[in-house]
Amino acid sequence: MSSKKSSWLIDWAVARPRFFTWLMVFSTFLLIILAAVPSIWPEKVPALHSIEVDTDPENMLPADEPVRLFHNAAKKEFSLNDIVVVGIVNDKHPEGVFNPESLQRVYDLTEFAKTLQWSDKEGKHGVVEIDIIAPSTVDNIEQGGMGVVNFSWLMPRPPKTQEEALSIRERAMNIPFLKGTMVSEDGKALAIYLPLVSKHDSYEVRKALLGFIKEWDGDEQVHITGLPVAEDTFGVEMFTQMAISAPLAMLVIFVLLWWFFRNLTLIVSPMIVAMVSALSTMALLVITGNTIHIMSSMIPIFIMPIAVLDSIHILSEFFDRYPQIRDRKKTIIEVMKHLFTPMLFTSVTTMAGFASLALTPIPPVQVFGIFVAIGVFLAWFWTIVFIPAYVMLMPEAKLEGFGQSVSDSGDTTGMAKFLHGLGKWTHDHPKTVLAVTFLCVLISVYGISRIQINDNPIKWFEPDHPIRVADKILNEHFGGTYIAYLQYEADDKGLSVDSYITELEQRLEQWKAQVLADEYAQVEAVYTKAVQLMKETQAESIEDYLSKLQGRVNDLMDHASDEEYDTWSELALFFDREDQRNEVFKQPEVLRYLSRLQDFLLQTGVVGKVNALPDIIKTVHRELFLGDADHFRIPDSVNGVAQTLITYQNSHRPQDLWHFVTPDYKKSNLMLQLTSGDNKDMEKVIAAVADFEEQNPPPMALKSNWFGLTYINVIWQDHMVQGMLKSFMGSFVIVLLMMVFLFRSALFGILSMIPLTVTVGLIYGVIGLIGKDYDMPVAVLSALSLGLAIDYAIHFLARSREAVRETGNWHNAVDVVFGEPARAITRNVIILGAGFLPLLAAPLVPYQTVGFFIASILVCAGIATLLILPSAMTLLEKYLFRGELS
Amino acid sequence: MKRLTVLLISLFLAASAIAADPTIEEIVNRANLATYYQGKDGRAHVKMTITDSQGRKRMRKLTILRWDQPDTDELENGAYRGKQKFYVYFSRPADVNKMVFLVWKNLDKDDDRWLYLPALDLVKRIAASDKRTSFVGSDFFYEDVSGRDIDEDEHELLKTTDKYFVIKNTPKDPSSVEFAYYMMYIHKKTFLPIQVEYYDAQDKKYRVAKALKVENIQGHPTVTKASMESLNQGSKTVMEYSSVKYDTGIPEDIFTERYLRKPPRKYLK
Repeated sequence: MSSKKSSWLIDWAVARPRFFTWLMVFSTFLLIILAAVPSIWPEKVPALHSIEVDTDPENMLPADEPVRLFHNAAKKEFSLNDIVVVGIVNDKHPEGVFNPESLQRVYDLTEFAKTLQWSDKEGKHGVVEIDIIAPSTVDNIEQGGMGVVNFSWLMPRPPKTQEEALSIRERAMNIPFLKGTMVSEDGKALAIYLPLVSKHDSYEVRKALLGFIKEWDGDEQVHITGLPVAEDTFGVEMFTQMAISAPLAMLVIFVLLWWFFRNLTLIVSPMIVAMVSALSTMALLVITGNTIHIMSSMIPIFIMPIAVLDSIHILSEFFDRYPQIRDRKKTIIEVMKHLFTPMLFTSVTTMAGFASLALTPIPPVQVFGIFVAIGVFLAWFWTIVFIPAYVMLMPEAKLEGFGQSVSDSGDTTGMAKFLHGLGKWTHDHPKTVLAVTFLCVLISVYGISRIQINDNPIKWFEPDHPIRVADKILNEHFGGTYIAYLQYEADDKGLSVDSYITELEQRLEQWKAQVLADEYAQVEAVYTKAVQLMKETQAESIEDYLSKLQGRVNDLMDHASDEEYDTWSELALFFDREDQRNEVFKQPEVLRYLSRLQDFLLQTGVVGKVNALPDIIKTVHRELFLGDADHFRIPDSVNGVAQTLITYQNSHRPQDLWHFVTPDYKKSNLMLQLTSGDNKDMEKVIAAVADFEEQNPPPMALKSNWFGLTYINVIWQDHMVQGMLKSFMGSFVIVLLMMVFLFRSALFGILSMIPLTVTVGLIYGVIGLIGKDYDMPVAVLSALSLGLAIDYAIHFLARSREAVRETGNWHNAVDVVFGEPARAITRNVIILGAGFLPLLAAPLVPYQTVGFFIASILVCAGIATLLILPSAMTLLEKYLFRGELS
Repeated sequence: MKRLTVLLISLFLAASAIAADPTIEEIVNRANLATYYQGKDGRAHVKMTITDSQGRKRMRKLTILRWDQPDTDELENGAYRGKQKFYVYFSRPADVNKMVFLVWKNLDKDDDRWLYLPALDLVKRIAASDKRTSFVGSDFFYEDVSGRDIDEDEHELLKTTDKYFVIKNTPKDPSSVEFAYYMMYIHKKTFLPIQVEYYDAQDKKYRVAKALKVENIQGHPTVTKASMESLNQGSKTVMEYSSVKYDTGIPEDIFTERYLRKPPRKYLK
């Protein structure tokens, strides 16, 4: 299986060891400098990229993804900012935080939060003061006698007595907008909402708040949460992950290599290759302007164990051969040439597996896949040239006794004995193995059918993490901290100008009847003139038509005689009313529809609270009628709604209205508070709304659109699931074709895919069976493991063929294959399995998941290779080895 | 030449009569008079344009009628000050047409207010509430429209420029208002506040009122275009006054509950 093309490279590496060593050292340092200098002194080399951390889950979708564009546009349109939620709970006081001392602290905290604003060259930063929701910044909406609503600050100053504290709660609980949002449903806790200019300000804001509350000596517990906070914390933990897991992986690999080869000088070489590959790849990532993201932060820990795999094969064989040949140069050349093709193929398949991630529509996953592939390439290249060079540069004395201890009694170690036994057993019981395999496949199919697709970025933190704790407590007390928005807008049916004019003529006649009844003067004359104006006016659109008409009417009114003036004024009013007809979210029936939808959403069990325009209108309407609960409803006329709304705008915060409706009343926004950030719960809500819309056609043509981070998460999850399937299929086909090409045999190609297919199926089956959610880390596993797990099969099949050729038949070859080749494979299984385990020490759940499952897949695939392949070969010997035996 | 000298002297005398270092009380009272008390009564059509931070505009049209109890505009002993009544009639947007807001501004006690919502057929006299809330969703507050009582603040003349008296006003009861203080740039000749800036406790300017256009109407310098900007929100409201008229002889009984449902068309035109 040795390739002629490979020999010049290996000969060269052996002949010029110093050159290659220096080349590697130099190139690595160059890359590190190119990445480090702009990161440390960004202003000195503005042309180069500095290290950038990206913890924004929105970036799971490309920046130009329609869902994201709509999300951003809608956020801007409704002036919605990302929010830091500060929950204040007091378990000691019987009334919770509603006591003078606690409320004094809440007041002080709010005043402090208002000061958290700063500016730099990019503009304003920090808290958006006018949109803070806190007891001292919101209005109490209260009747001030029949027909009047008073707006006064809910808590203009901290209460002096317990009674005052309780009355603040009582008033707040009467305002739907605050109940369940600012005051907990049980009336014991408070939440302050601090909107941020940019979500990237959350770290500073949180730090300042934590500093401020550190000096509290009361019984209140303060929980700070909200997605921006989670993201920033995530960034910090990401580096912790890299700082803990990567060195730990190095250590594990080092210890294992020592256990395998017992030669300190020699095992340093794969460690160097691993370091060089990981560092160069990360440097390249920074240099090319890519960000450190949850995915890309895992690159080093992926590259390191993979980087030593080829070296292990080299060293294993060197270990076995050196005691016989006793010449390092001859030995290394022979070993390298022997292993060149399998190493090339294993590396290329691994690269293909990772590079296939570029087929997913998730940019961070693409970057991860491509850069791990680059890292694997670097590791392969430096293994090929540096390991032989290193061996040549070693003092020959250091090799003294290498492999000696075991060469005479080569097969007496525990591992060796076990593997020999295993080889014999598979040869004797092929049908048992295949029967068990078939059973596994059946279980897998059942398990996979039960897989639940779900993710939740908050659950990326461990359950005892302060953010998870805050999240849990706040969701117990309040309507929910996960926000999704549902926007409705009028679905313009494209009424033509002509048919509009026909309708308008009818309404004008009704108008005439009305003003006649109201005893206006000169009605007939004004009406005739109006009809004439309507005929004369030409326009492209209804809006244009009306505005031209309004202009003409106003002109005529200004010049009208005193006698006609009032009638003209009424006519002007009539056309202005026409203009307001498309203000759909002032129409009582539309508002009632939204209100019914709100009630329906609360019954889904997932939505804890919906804030929307109907609440504001109903609350103000109730207070206009002396706070009478019967008047907690939508007024019966458009004008009634409009006048209720203008009453609301007499408050301290009229701008709050524009979070729920646009000033032209053509779009309205429902804010849903979900108590769970699970994608499956969001999906449930989406499906429920679709159902509702279908069963309850809206009174006017409306169309709905979702936005908000909780919704975006669902979208990228969908992309992820489909993308991963595509990526897995893609890499499966590519690897299969490569195998067919490598072995020049379709049967061998198919055979090589069996162990990993069974393994991947089994792991996903188990995930389905134990009820583990199919989330982002689980999704990326399949494609990742494919390129790695095939390696065992490549080595195993290549060596088996060779052995059959040498020994004459499979029966004899089993012993050979279960000697050194099986040992090298087992060592790789152990290295890979153990090499990924340090991810379990990472503080974030996705890393742990990846670590655990990838280790499981690789170990299982190793076992499957060593069991299924020899069993299959025993049964298929005649078909498989035709070429070798003829 | 002689005539010119006479003219110059008389001009000088006229100017010095006012400008001879008026006291802070005089400046504040003259500004108060110029802004809120000119004439026996007044009428103006107002077009209000609210522009938010996204450039979206909303428009309101209203007519303001004012009646002053004192018959005089004399400054002496604050004779010009006294009870005032406002009748604010909304005509646009169309859906708030005929809405009326009535205020009796009292000097010695809280104001009386009425609001008439025709669509809900609601009218009732109401107790005063916070006067520093938005006026129908604009950047102006109620108090900006009806006038803040000069006795509620301490006034301090910070400096006199060639055009303006710069006055710092500090509330006597800081808990009743959202500002820490406000600065007024009062025009030396007309005594109209040309710019008013509101500052918060961190000395940050967050609200600015400007007189954009001044016209002489019936001998009274009158602001006919004014703006209020909310710097924190990025929104701005412009009020344009037209058909301004003083001393129209509006009878006092227009400013009663009776006329809420039955707008006095004659005076609103």
